[in-house]
Amino acid sequence: MSEPATRIYTEADQLADPIAERAPLVLGGYDFHSVTEVVAAVVDQKAPRAWWIALFASMSLLGIYGVSVAWLVWEGTGVWGLNNPVFWGWAIVNFVFWVGIGHAGTLISAILFLFRQKWRTGINRAAEAMTLFAVVCALSFPTIHVGRIWLLYWAIPLPNQMDAWPNFRSPLVWDFFAVSIYGTVSLLFWYTGLIPDLATMRDRARTKWKRLIYGFFALGWRGSNRHWQNYEAAYLILAALATPLVLSVHSIVSFDFATSQLPGWHTTIFPPYFVAGAIFSGFGMVMTLMVPSREWFGLKNLITIRHLENMAKIILLTGCIVGYAYAMEFFIAWYSGNPYEQFAFMNRMFGPYAWAYWTMVSCNVISPQLFWFKWCRTTPWFLFVVSIFVNIGMWFERFVIVVSSLSADFLVSSWDYYSPTIWDVGCFVGSFGLFFTLYTLFVRFVPQVALAEVKSVMPEADPHFEGYSHGGGQPPVASSAAPSTSEANSDHVETAPFGEPVAAVVTSIDGDQSDGDSADNENGSEGEVE
Amino acid sequence: MGHHVTLPSNESVQLPAGHRLRRFPLIFGVVGVLCLAGSWFAAGGDHKAFYHSYLTAFLFGLSIALGALFFTLFQHAASAGWSVVVRRVAENLMAPLPIFALLFIPLWFGRHDLYHWTDLEHVAHDPVLLGKQGFLNEGFWMVRAAIYFGLWTLMSWWFRSKSIRQDSEGGTALSRLMQMRSYPAIMAFALTISFAAIDWGMSLDPHWYSTMWGVYYFAGSIVSAFAMLGFSVLLMQRWGLLQGIVTKDHFHDIGKLVFAFTVFWAYIAFSQYFLIWYANIPEETSFFHRRAVNTWYVLGIYLMIGHFGLPFFFLMGRTLKKIPWSLALGCVWIITFHYLDLYYVVMPNVHKSGITASLVDGLTAIGVLSIYIALAAWFLGKAALIPQKDPRLPESLAFQNF
Repeated sequence: MSEPATRIYTEADQLADPIAERAPLVLGGYDFHSVTEVVAAVVDQKAPRAWWIALFASMSLLGIYGVSVAWLVWEGTGVWGLNNPVFWGWAIVNFVFWVGIGHAGTLISAILFLFRQKWRTGINRAAEAMTLFAVVCALSFPTIHVGRIWLLYWAIPLPNQMDAWPNFRSPLVWDFFAVSIYGTVSLLFWYTGLIPDLATMRDRARTKWKRLIYGFFALGWRGSNRHWQNYEAAYLILAALATPLVLSVHSIVSFDFATSQLPGWHTTIFPPYFVAGAIFSGFGMVMTLMVPSREWFGLKNLITIRHLENMAKIILLTGCIVGYAYAMEFFIAWYSGNPYEQFAFMNRMFGPYAWAYWTMVSCNVISPQLFWFKWCRTTPWFLFVVSIFVNIGMWFERFVIVVSSLSADFLVSSWDYYSPTIWDVGCFVGSFGLFFTLYTLFVRFVPQVALAEVKSVMPEADPHFEGYSHGGGQPPVASSAAPSTSEANSDHVETAPFGEPVAAVVTSIDGDQSDGDSADNENGSEGEVE
Repeated sequence: MGHHVTLPSNESVQLPAGHRLRRFPLIFGVVGVLCLAGSWFAAGGDHKAFYHSYLTAFLFGLSIALGALFFTLFQHAASAGWSVVVRRVAENLMAPLPIFALLFIPLWFGRHDLYHWTDLEHVAHDPVLLGKQGFLNEGFWMVRAAIYFGLWTLMSWWFRSKSIRQDSEGGTALSRLMQMRSYPAIMAFALTISFAAIDWGMSLDPHWYSTMWGVYYFAGSIVSAFAMLGFSVLLMQRWGLLQGIVTKDHFHDIGKLVFAFTVFWAYIAFSQYFLIWYANIPEETSFFHRRAVNTWYVLGIYLMIGHFGLPFFFLMGRTLKKIPWSLALGCVWIITFHYLDLYYVVMPNVHKSGITASLVDGLTAIGVLSIYIALAAWFLGKAALIPQKDPRLPESLAFQNF
């Protein structure tokens, strides 16, 4: 070990970006126990007034959603600004917007897991919860868009007397399956990751009901070696299953448009382009949530500046991919020699929806370019502002695709300009109420940072961490290295990381059995831990 | 965190003087030149068939070199630790990129046989091609080719030479510099490979278009480069090099990347096919319509199975990725099918009624690949086999997959 066990890492250590070693992911000198204390405090303590205010504000918006949807169901989709030829309006735009946002959570928890990106542990729990809530919001829009929502179950292929089946050749039916599967797998994945942490919450619970409820959902977790083995296997398999879903869901959403023959919708690059856009918008939303969260809940040492910077880099990368797709679409529209294609793209840029197009380009392609500068990537308030631009830009992207192509269709006589009504706005703004209500409840009742996973990426979790016995003391590359004597002789009792928290971040502590268990087993094979 | 490893000595990471890889440049160079010369005569005056075969081989060799370039750039961009021990091999695989500028010259002579948009007489009566003349004209086409080769040469040379300089200098400054430069390089790479694919592949059928085309060529390029990297390192290890440096865990990771990008290729290929099939617009379906005849149709089915189905199951588990011979089999398999994929793209433009495999196909493919291998092996002997003072080398040596 190059660093003593008691070293307290700071943001400066991270921003120095050491090349020869990895920047620390947990700051402030936390040990395993203080991680639990900091995260669980949000759930344990009495809800502060600010939380009630946030819940009230979110539920007020949710109320707007309720009213808008109730009026829509009562009166029919005519209350929206839909017209002929713009049969798809804000509802489909909102659907794609929310599904897209949902992609970041699964990318962070599944794909970054497979790529061994350890920094994901700080944000994966919250990002995945956000994914689930975004999927709920997304699913609500096709549901209310069908008009007669009491017949929604027709989308399910149920045997029936009329022998009426959904049209399996319709991308909308694929959507139904894709998004449902996505929601299910994401929920299972999220829940699997939660089990050890729910056990921690169970063991910390001070009231009977809390203990019973957390205990019920913790599925009898005791942190035994066998539990951990099954857990790791399940987690890996679910990650492998969720990974293709990250690509497939938004690809199928893109098929809603691209399988048609409409200029501006039908283009072969749509699937990967939509996926990149989805990840882009999803990370935008994670950023929007994480910047205030880490501030308000005192999680700055767990969701560090390094996490924010990494997310900014992914936003920059995906923003550039989206920019590539815009450019390629535009080039091929010209190259195709097809006058309808050419018109569709010129109309987007300079037609009646030019304002929306240039909003989209400014927000999605230009604003992320600021992340080339380190200051922009490491200044939380600035990241927050850009993340809002990203959200706006990605909503407009879907608006531009849906509305600009539809409004100027094949017959010039039927062209029409689309304007939303108050009920369109109510449904869209209200859906944020649904989203934030769920999120506000989440931060109150579930540990919003994955405790067990964060601990697994701390230096203490390394089997070769100073202070642990090494058994044979074999270094990783047996052929090339001699056993390190200084390691084998080090006094592990005195420097064991389970001592008092180094930084004064923790107040009083109850017994924390499962926490200790989880830490032990994260260390790898048995017998290495004292 | 510290890594408890001893760095390999300087002698252990040099290509030994009498090593058989030292003979590769001469052997493969001679074989390559002979095959290419032979293929011209084997074509027996059928220039159209020759140039199409040659283009297939050219795109094949080029794609592997470009994929290796992308691999190198991306390792710098992502500050990757695990891959340091194999990065030099990738750098040697990208280093022959400038030779493709030389190998491009025959395409200039064959342009009229390959690209009928160069026939101005024909273009004058074709309103669609007339509309594209601003892009598809010989002058601009050559200028673009010069830009591509210029940038590729610059990138492959710069990143390799800086990496070699780090072998003597050490320190983190060069790592930072390469990381900084890798970002604009990746952007340049994305644009050049896309437009090169359009210029040399898509414009074979100048009426046809697909926004996915650049990504499609990239997908095949990256997966075959990973396969080539895996195979090269396996071969080097079998011949006594990189012992104890590249471990099972690195092979496992390379195998995972081959697997992942096999799926990525399938995803891109399927999306392109599916959207064109579903919308059924004649301007677009022409591409697949031409390939839905006779044995071309059969090859299309074989590509689905061979470029995706079989390797998908073969490379999924971890066991087969960790056994050298089975990983080598997977890599060779992928490279072979990548060639067939390009064959499927290029050759139906000349053999319209079905596959007409000929000696010329084989000779051009072996010729271009041999010249590529000869140069890569030559570069291999010119520097250490690993970036021996890369600050992340200890991390890479200690890398374990768990």
